[in-house]
Amino acid sequence: MGGVLVRPIILTVFIYLFLKFIVPNLPHSAPLPSSLIFLYLMLTTAGIVIFATLSGASKDAFFGPIFRFLTGESGGALSSARYLVLALFPLLVGWQTYGSTASSDAPPAENRTIHPAPPGEYTGLSNPVPKTPDNIMYGKGLYASRCSPCHGNFDGKGFAAPGFTPPPANFKDPTTIAMLQESFLFWRIKKGGVGLPVEGMPWKSAMPRWELELSDEDIWKVIMGEYDGAGQKPRTWDESE
Amino acid sequence: MARVRRPGARWWVGAVGLVGLCLATGLEPAYSQQSVSVRATLVKGALPADDPTAAAWATAAVSEFPMSPQVHWPVRITEVTAKSVKVRGLHDGTTVAILVEYSDPSEDPDDAAALEFMVGETKAHFAHGQPMAQVQGGPVNIWYWKNKDGKGVDMGAKGFGTLKPHTHQDVKAKGVYQGGAWKVVFSRPFHTEHVDEDTQFKPGEFASIAFAIWDGKKTDTGQPKEKGSEKAISSWWYFRADAPPDYSPYMYALLAVALALGFEMVLVRRLKKGS
Repeated sequence: MGGVLVRPIILTVFIYLFLKFIVPNLPHSAPLPSSLIFLYLMLTTAGIVIFATLSGASKDAFFGPIFRFLTGESGGALSSARYLVLALFPLLVGWQTYGSTASSDAPPAENRTIHPAPPGEYTGLSNPVPKTPDNIMYGKGLYASRCSPCHGNFDGKGFAAPGFTPPPANFKDPTTIAMLQESFLFWRIKKGGVGLPVEGMPWKSAMPRWELELSDEDIWKVIMGEYDGAGQKPRTWDESE
Repeated sequence: MARVRRPGARWWVGAVGLVGLCLATGLEPAYSQQSVSVRATLVKGALPADDPTAAAWATAAVSEFPMSPQVHWPVRITEVTAKSVKVRGLHDGTTVAILVEYSDPSEDPDDAAALEFMVGETKAHFAHGQPMAQVQGGPVNIWYWKNKDGKGVDMGAKGFGTLKPHTHQDVKAKGVYQGGAWKVVFSRPFHTEHVDEDTQFKPGEFASIAFAIWDGKKTDTGQPKEKGSEKAISSWWYFRADAPPDYSPYMYALLAVALALGFEMVLVRRLKKGS
């Protein structure tokens, strides 16, 4: 097969490997959905074909080796590869067809929003309780008795955590309370799991509705103790702008 | 004059190296696979709906779910006997049987177990279908068994304090205590007449299921160690009864293979003619 085809193939493979394995490991990144990777590969292939067919000569140079390969004119070791490709293509099509028509054993996908938007009245509230050592200590005491059974030592690994799905939040994780405002925590603690909107899947959350057992002032103190114990600081409007 | 660099053998070494690097960064640690659903397989013989020790249960897939002390609402409990529960399912096309197995150091009259299901399409909170602030929740259907009663009780709830037995009883249950563990089998027909109160099973479709266990061992006060809301619980997991075998995907795949082969043959023939 001519070198004119090797480079597009290598380029496509590299782009796939980059999207599949390198991108998820970049800072602040996440694994890409396979549908998005497929879309990128299609765009890459389309670009390659457009580039290769800009002129009659380049078009012949691009498709010539493909046609010769498919018709068996290439000869040599490529003859075996030709039979392999001709045999694998129908099998791949069959496998894809089976995969898209067979029923899956996987439970329904759950697109739970972990930090849904709170109701308007809980947006932008500031903690009215003075941040004194006594108040922080009092909040930590409440945390120990009410929150630690599930949230543990601020790490989400309390003795009561294993049976619950979704698992209790790990406050030491920088993606939980460190990226939230105190007003969000106030809403979540006060209204509990049943206060979540539909995208938060409230029917699964074991977070109690603490407004039935704690005063607002106590909840603000718990928030103070929580941030202090986890070694985190609440996100503020100043930092977010 | 621009220097033209021709790809040589080193170029391939670099390519292989990069592929290796990509694969290495993509390797993931082998996490222990935690069950997320109970699968009830279709049994060929008689359904062991009243025999928790029947040999047929050995053919059923086992799922294990962690249990937590009930700390969600008062009265809470901080330590429970059942740390996990193993669950198996079988069905015969009309009736489903679910086997719950868990460790308990002693057999006590107040030992009890329960399954919980959502009713209909409306989502219900796992804690007795308590009301949710922004979502209209539905009721839950609870199948309850207590050792001293020796039978299953079909119950319903929509919020705390509303749990009560249904006027109709469709659930059967039987428990056997063996070697420090309870095996309790619950059974019920897939469908009942009471669609507003009972969960209805559709083979092949996932439903939500939750578990509760009570250790009825008497404490020094004379009361059971676990009772009422003081129990071991789980939140929602999934349950599915297998649908009858469906061979159509194999037929579609065979058809696709034949079409792809035909496409290849036509393409190669035309290319040969063209050349």
